[in-house]
Amino acid sequence: MATPNGGLINETNAQYYAGTQQFIIAATAVNQTFTSTFDTLLSVGTGNYSDPGTNGFNLNNFKVNTSTDGSTWAELTPASTDFDAVGTPLSAGGLATVNIAANANILGGSIFVLVNKLTGFVYGTITTINGANTLLTLDKVLPAAGITNNTALSVRRIQPWTMVGNIITVSQSLTINTYLQIEMRDATVDDIHGSYEYTRLNDVIDNFLIAYVGAGKLIPSVKRTDVIFHARRGLQEFSYDTLKSTRSQELQIPSSLSLIIPQDYVNYVKLSWVDGMGVLHPIYPTNNLNQSPYETLAQDQLGHPIQDSNAINTEVSSTMDAAWNATDPRLISGGFQNNLDNANVLNRGYMDGALGQRYGLDPVTSQKNGWFKIDERKGTFNFTSNLSGRIILLEYISDGNAYDLDSRIPKLAEEALYAHMVHAILSVSSNVQEYVVRRFKQERSAKLRNAKIRLSNIKLDQIVQVMRGKSKWLKF
Amino acid sequence: MAINVNTVYQTVLLILNKEQRGYMTPLEFNKIGTQTQLEIFETYFESLNQQIRIPQTNVDYADRVLNLDEKISIFKTTGTPTYTAPSFSLPSESGLAQSSETITTIAGTVGYDFQIITANELASGTVQVFFDGVLQTAAAYGITGTTITLTVAPTAGPPINPASVFVIVTLDDFYRLGTVLYTLGALAPQELERVTRSELYHINSSKLTRPSTIYPVYLYENKRLLVYPTSIISGITVDYIRKPLDPSWNFTLGSNNQYVYSPNTSINFELHDAEQTELILKILLYAGVVIKSPEIIQVAAQQVAQENQNQQR
Repeated sequence: MATPNGGLINETNAQYYAGTQQFIIAATAVNQTFTSTFDTLLSVGTGNYSDPGTNGFNLNNFKVNTSTDGSTWAELTPASTDFDAVGTPLSAGGLATVNIAANANILGGSIFVLVNKLTGFVYGTITTINGANTLLTLDKVLPAAGITNNTALSVRRIQPWTMVGNIITVSQSLTINTYLQIEMRDATVDDIHGSYEYTRLNDVIDNFLIAYVGAGKLIPSVKRTDVIFHARRGLQEFSYDTLKSTRSQELQIPSSLSLIIPQDYVNYVKLSWVDGMGVLHPIYPTNNLNQSPYETLAQDQLGHPIQDSNAINTEVSSTMDAAWNATDPRLISGGFQNNLDNANVLNRGYMDGALGQRYGLDPVTSQKNGWFKIDERKGTFNFTSNLSGRIILLEYISDGNAYDLDSRIPKLAEEALYAHMVHAILSVSSNVQEYVVRRFKQERSAKLRNAKIRLSNIKLDQIVQVMRGKSKWLKF
Repeated sequence: MAINVNTVYQTVLLILNKEQRGYMTPLEFNKIGTQTQLEIFETYFESLNQQIRIPQTNVDYADRVLNLDEKISIFKTTGTPTYTAPSFSLPSESGLAQSSETITTIAGTVGYDFQIITANELASGTVQVFFDGVLQTAAAYGITGTTITLTVAPTAGPPINPASVFVIVTLDDFYRLGTVLYTLGALAPQELERVTRSELYHINSSKLTRPSTIYPVYLYENKRLLVYPTSIISGITVDYIRKPLDPSWNFTLGSNNQYVYSPNTSINFELHDAEQTELILKILLYAGVVIKSPEIIQVAAQQVAQENQNQQR
C-alpha cells in the first residue's frame, strides 16, 4: 500500500481506515507532546475534557490511549493514572490533612486528587505534602468519619493530557519504548471515510487566492472576505440543484402527526414511509387538497379579527387542520380497504385484484401512501392519519454552510465553483470590460453543466439495465 | 551585504575635494547619509507599486519586481506582538543593536557618562543594562541625558561588584506592517486580513463572512492590532519592514588631531550594494548644497535623474 509521500493524501492507512495514529515513546519524560496529522482537526470540550466524568469529555472527537506493547490499549484517563497510597495512621474527620505511609511519588499543587481506592470517593485535591512525604494537605476537609487506619488510597492525576492546536501534551512520565495512540471516535471516523471525494471550502478559498488573484491576473487584488462570501454563496447555490449531497433522517411519525423541520433544512427532496421489508413508499404533498393556515384569527360576529389587551390579534386553533387530521385518506384516494403493508408482490389475497376499481379515478389522489404538508407557521411537517406510527425517511437538502463539515465541495464540482467565484468577483469589480465578464459567465455556465452531468452519476450499465425493459410485451 | 560607510565617505570626499571645492565633516556626512539612505529606502515601495503594474520578464536578474524585492528583503523581519487587552502592540524593534557601550565601574561611584551612545539613540531606542552580564530591571539604574546612574553604588573588590555595566540600545525600527499571521499549535498558520472599522461592522454582521479562527481579521489603529475573533489572544506574529540603521562614520582623533576611521564603532549603510552609485550621487547632491557648489548639484542631479530614467524605462 502507498504511504503519504507528497501527494494529496496526508493520512496513513491506519489513520483513514482505523482512525488511529500511533507514536512510540522515544524517551522517558514528562510533558511529552504528540502532534496529530489527521486531516480532521482534533477538538475537545470545555473544562477537564480528559476526564470521562465531565461533559467536556463527551465533546472530544478523539481519545488518547496508551499501551506497553502496541497491541493492547488502555484509554488515558484520570482513573488510569492512579497509583496506590496507604492512609496510616487514621486521619480525623473535619480536617484537611491526611496521614499516609511515606510516598515520594505524590506531588502537590493541584495536580492530583486523593481517592478512596475501594469506594472511589474523592477526598479532595492535594495541595501540599510535607517534607517527610507523610502528611497531605487537601483543598477541603475530610468527611466526619475521617480516614481509618490502613485505608487503601489512590492518588489520581486530575488532567492526564491536554490538547491545543492538534498538539497533545501528556503530563505524566511516559516510559521509553511504550506507545501512545490518538484514536478518533466512531462518528469522526465515519466523517473521515470517503472524505477524499471532497475538497474543503477553506482549501478552495486558499487555492483561489493563489491561482486567480495577483498582479498580472484578471483579478489583481480582492479582499479575502469577498472571496469567502462568494465561495460560500456558490456552495449554497450549488447545494440546491447541483450537488448530490442530500441529507436524510429516519423518523417515526407520532400520534400528533407532525414532525419538526430539521435544523439545516432548506427544501425537501422526498418523503417516504418504510414498510416491513424496508422498501420506501413515496408520500406526496397535499398541494391543493389541504394547507395549514399561517394565521388562524379569532373573529367577531362581523368577521373582524379580535384583539387582546395588548392590541394584538388573537388566534384560535385551526379548524381545517383538525378536519384534515381526522380525515381517512382512503376516502380521498379510493384506496383498498385492505391497506398493503409492504412491497411484497406475492402478498395478495385472491380477491384483491378486483377491489378498488371504480370509474372517474383522479390520478393525483390515487395513491395509498398518504400525504404530507408543511406548516410554515409552526415549522413542521404534518402527515395524514394513516401514517401515524410509521417510520419515514425524510430526504432534504441543506445549503452546505450549516456545519463546518458541510463546508466542502465534491471534487467533481470544484472547477465549477472556481468559475462561479471568478465570475462573481469580476461582475462586481470596477474597470472590468463587459466582454470579460461575459466570458466568465459562459465559462461558469459550461463548467456548472459539466458538474451537473458528472454528479448525475450516469453509468452506462445502469442505463442498459433499464433499457432492457423497452421491448417488454405489455399484456392487457 | 551592505555598503561600506568609509568607501562612500572617501569617495564623496574625493569628488568634493577635487579642485579644492570643499570639505564635508564626518558629522555632516552622517546626517546627510542618514537622510539619503532613508530617501532611497522610501522610493522602493513606490517603485515596487509601479513595477508590479508593468509586465515583467522572467529572465534572470532582469525582473525589476524581483530586483526591488531583493533590495527590500534586507529589511524584512518578523516579530511577535504582545497582547494587552484588548489589542496587540506592534513589535517595536527587530533586535538590531543601534549602539552599545561597556562601562568599567569604580567602587562607590554611581554616575557614569556615556562616551559612545548618544542621547538621540537613548531617546529613540530600547535600553537594556547588564551588570556583569546579568540583565537588570529599571529599578537598578536610571538614565538622564547621556548619564547612567546606578541605584546601588558598586562595592569594593576585588573584584568590584558589579565590575562592568554593559548598555545596549536597540532601535525602535518598525517601519511598515506586512503580513499578520495566527498560529495555533500544530495547525497551519492563518493569515489575518486587514479591514477597516466600517468594514468590520459589516463583516461581523454577515454570517457568511464573520471572522473565525480559520479566517481571522484585524484592525490596525494607533500602532495596535485589534484581532477578531477576540478569542485570539496569543499566537500572532507579524512580518514587517524595519527602518535601516542610521549610518555612522565614526572616528578617533589621530596624533595630528586628524580623523581616523574607526571601523568597529561605525555603522555601514544597509542598502543593497547596487545602490552605492546612487547613494554617493545623492550625498554629493546634498553636499553640493552644503558647500554651496552649483556645479556639484547640477552634475549629481543629472546623474541621479539619468539613473532613475533607466530604472523606470
